[in-house]
Amino acid sequence: MQAYQENLKKLEAADTQVLGVSMDSTFSNAAFADKIGINFPLLSDWGGDVTKEYGIYNPQYKAARRVTFLIDKEGKIVQEQTDSEAIDPTAVVASCERRKLKS
Amino acid sequence: MRKSPAVLLLSILALGIQQAGNGLWAQGTKKEAPPTPKFKVGDTAPDFTLLDQNRKPVKLSDYRGKKNVAVAFIVFAFTGG
Repeated sequence: MQAYQENLKKLEAADTQVLGVSMDSTFSNAAFADKIGINFPLLSDWGGDVTKEYGIYNPQYKAARRVTFLIDKEGKIVQEQTDSEAIDPTAVVASCERRKLKS
Repeated sequence: MRKSPAVLLLSILALGIQQAGNGLWAQGTKKEAPPTPKFKVGDTAPDFTLLDQNRKPVKLSDYRGKKNVAVAFIVFAFTGG
């Protein structure tokens, strides 16, 4: 999440909103956002309904898998990254910048 | 001859420890396939409304026609990544 925060300006410049989602409570998300200085929405999927709907609920950890979905302005998924590759936002930044150039 | 009960006991104990160890080992290496996203590139992302860290509702479809959205699912707060 810290890496996304560091790239937030670039993403915003490329018309992209970052939304973090986890199955933590809003309270622990508030403390987490405060601790590492996140100023984009950190959403609480308490109970995991959205995580399950997206098919990435991991019963072994009772938590979501680390996945980033890049969704375009029409609501279509244009990129998916999982696990360690999802931590580095470079590819997402690059494709947002490309989309910005095209439009 | 006097030693044998002790030896027997020790070997039973050793066997038990080994089995417990095997059990733990098996648990550690048990592979469960990670869940794979239900939606692929090109699919429409299902809408959702969730509360942010300030308990303000955020709706995915509110960004439609305005912005791209990077939805980053993380495992737990207070972890890396």
